[in-house]
Amino acid sequence: MDFSLSAEQEMVRSTAHSLFEGQCPAGLLQAAWDDKRAAAPLWDEHLYQWVELAGADLVDLVLFMGEHGRAAAPGVFFASLQAAQLAAPTGLAAAGSATVAVAGENGLWIPHDGNARHHVPSAGDADEILWVAGSLAAPTMALVPTASATLTEVDQLDRLRPMYTVELAGPPRGIPVDPTAFAHAVDRALVTTAAELIGTGRWLLETSVEYACEREQFGQPIGSFQGLQWMLVDAALLLERADAAVTYAAMCVDADDTDRHRAVHVAKAEAGLAARSVARTAMQVHAGTGYTFEHGLHFRLRRAYAGDAFMGPSGYHLDRLGQLLFSG
Amino acid sequence: MKLARSADDEAFRKRLAEFLEEHCPPEARLSNDFIASSEAGDDGVVSIPCWARKWQACLFDHGWMVPGYPPELGGCNATPSQTLVYFEEMTGRGIPRSLHFVGYAIAGPSLLEFGSDEQRRLAPAAIRGDTIWCAGMSEPGAGSDLASLSTRAERQGDEYVVNGQKVWTSYAMLASKCLCYVRTDPDAPRHEGISALIIDMDTPGLEVRPLRDISGHAEFAEVFFTDVRVPAANLLGELNRGWQITIGALAHERSGLWVEGVAICQRSIDDIVAMARRRGLDDDPVIRRRVAELYARVRGLRALGYKGFASFAQGGSAPEHSLMKVATSELQQELVELALDLQGASLAVTDPGRSEEGGRWQRSFIKVLAATIGGGTSEVQRNVIAQRVLGLPRGS
Repeated sequence: MDFSLSAEQEMVRSTAHSLFEGQCPAGLLQAAWDDKRAAAPLWDEHLYQWVELAGADLVDLVLFMGEHGRAAAPGVFFASLQAAQLAAPTGLAAAGSATVAVAGENGLWIPHDGNARHHVPSAGDADEILWVAGSLAAPTMALVPTASATLTEVDQLDRLRPMYTVELAGPPRGIPVDPTAFAHAVDRALVTTAAELIGTGRWLLETSVEYACEREQFGQPIGSFQGLQWMLVDAALLLERADAAVTYAAMCVDADDTDRHRAVHVAKAEAGLAARSVARTAMQVHAGTGYTFEHGLHFRLRRAYAGDAFMGPSGYHLDRLGQLLFSG
Repeated sequence: MKLARSADDEAFRKRLAEFLEEHCPPEARLSNDFIASSEAGDDGVVSIPCWARKWQACLFDHGWMVPGYPPELGGCNATPSQTLVYFEEMTGRGIPRSLHFVGYAIAGPSLLEFGSDEQRRLAPAAIRGDTIWCAGMSEPGAGSDLASLSTRAERQGDEYVVNGQKVWTSYAMLASKCLCYVRTDPDAPRHEGISALIIDMDTPGLEVRPLRDISGHAEFAEVFFTDVRVPAANLLGELNRGWQITIGALAHERSGLWVEGVAICQRSIDDIVAMARRRGLDDDPVIRRRVAELYARVRGLRALGYKGFASFAQGGSAPEHSLMKVATSELQQELVELALDLQGASLAVTDPGRSEEGGRWQRSFIKVLAATIGGGTSEVQRNVIAQRVLGLPRGS
């Protein structure tokens, strides 16, 4: 197992870092909170070309998504990327932005028939919808124009990634997808989501450490108090463990390793738990300062909880893992 | 030690219940969560609804606002144990006394304890809610370390001239008066150069800017002071003895605050059990154990609160009560986490029509993040407990 980055991977990460630092500043998050159209240029001018990463090694995509999560980037990129990844085995490809309609009310990506799909990200901003139906044993997919669907936005904590219920009057005739290829694509989607959570947690931890060094009370930086140091160390332990688990899962999926089923559940569960916990610690360290709307902390806090929920929360993935562990 | 209430206290409870039946408005009976039912405009700035003002005045006029006070101050000369019964009944039913706590809980008691005769005459209106007060305490550089506050007040003739800034000032945009802590002697040791001034909010040079919190609402504000001239007669208590007032102000209601914390936790448990049933999770042994674990903590804390109250009512100190704020605020957060977890992939859904109890738990999640911050962070509370209750040495 080798976690070292190649020169190209280092390039992906640093390019992504500069991209989000330059094009997704704090002001954009505030603006997109009030009006989701404010996020459109980020997609139109920059992120659309990065959907290509859907066909790249998952370890590379993980690096990009870490930076995406760090920035708490708003807009349709996340949904478009997930649609492109899931459609990859079929050869279906959206011309512009897209989203993926697979989940039922329980949020899980288990194909089923019927006219409604839930927890569909950014549908209001997507040109096309990847409609998934059938069953795990016989999934089908079709691309439909968003204009042909009825969208209902369902308010949730993370307003920077709105969620929708999507209904079609007549479900389209989908093309069959190989179930193994479908399971593989879902694994990629899970690790992608987990990688974003790690990036979000990374911003929360780093920003908290910086704040603890700068903020003085009782005549010294609050970061010099042991109580605070231990909170931040515990947060770092959670996050580093989860980060490594996500990269490991990506390597397993790329190599089609036999450990990949377990590794993917570990990654999503650990990333969700870590991001939520680090977010709470970050709020406690920042205290009043972090509780103001103007501070970027709450955007990440909201993303951490929404990201944990997406494709099933950590509790669900731990239950699945338990089944895998005890079924021999 | 005994379980049952005395006959007197039971009669008191019955009188209160009858009063509530007759007078409590429906709006005040809906508050079954962590959120004050104050209203917010399009800009997020909260206001005090009409029913809440009327309700507070009604409580005062019938002697049920602060029961331990005499009737002219909105009470009925209740004994300490009757006051506890009062808290139990009100918080158990989730009925708020007031949507702005500063007047009756901080300004009123401080005016009565430290004020001149003229200043004491401001107390009834503060307690009845006719005058809305804010308390100028936290500053950008003085949060956990309140004693480092740096808003200056310099004596010039018959006036103090105030310069500086306050932050996290609750209801400053609605208040007509501010109980403001200022530094009057910059050369004295930190705790000995602070005084309390009563400042009219319409004094020239005073500017209020609403401060949006992460819920998007502005219940707090920043208050800026630029050469604000305050009559010297508005000094509350002795010059440079303001720190004693801050301690008094915070201690007044603390003997009973725990009851509310415990009641909120108890209601959460009941609602979580009901939600688990609705969602078909009531047979899940993992869920059952998590609920039971939190229930055990609620009941333990409730007993600890009563134990502290017994020594408080006999005039002793109640170290138990310093533990209660930390414990109940952290427990509230854990209960909300559990309530979110029960909602599975919908844990982040806030849409009233598509989430449990109209998104109540998601709103509570945002709100209770402040419970371990406001009024002293859990970390600072633990420092206080370590030093004052356990007797551990101070750090460097």
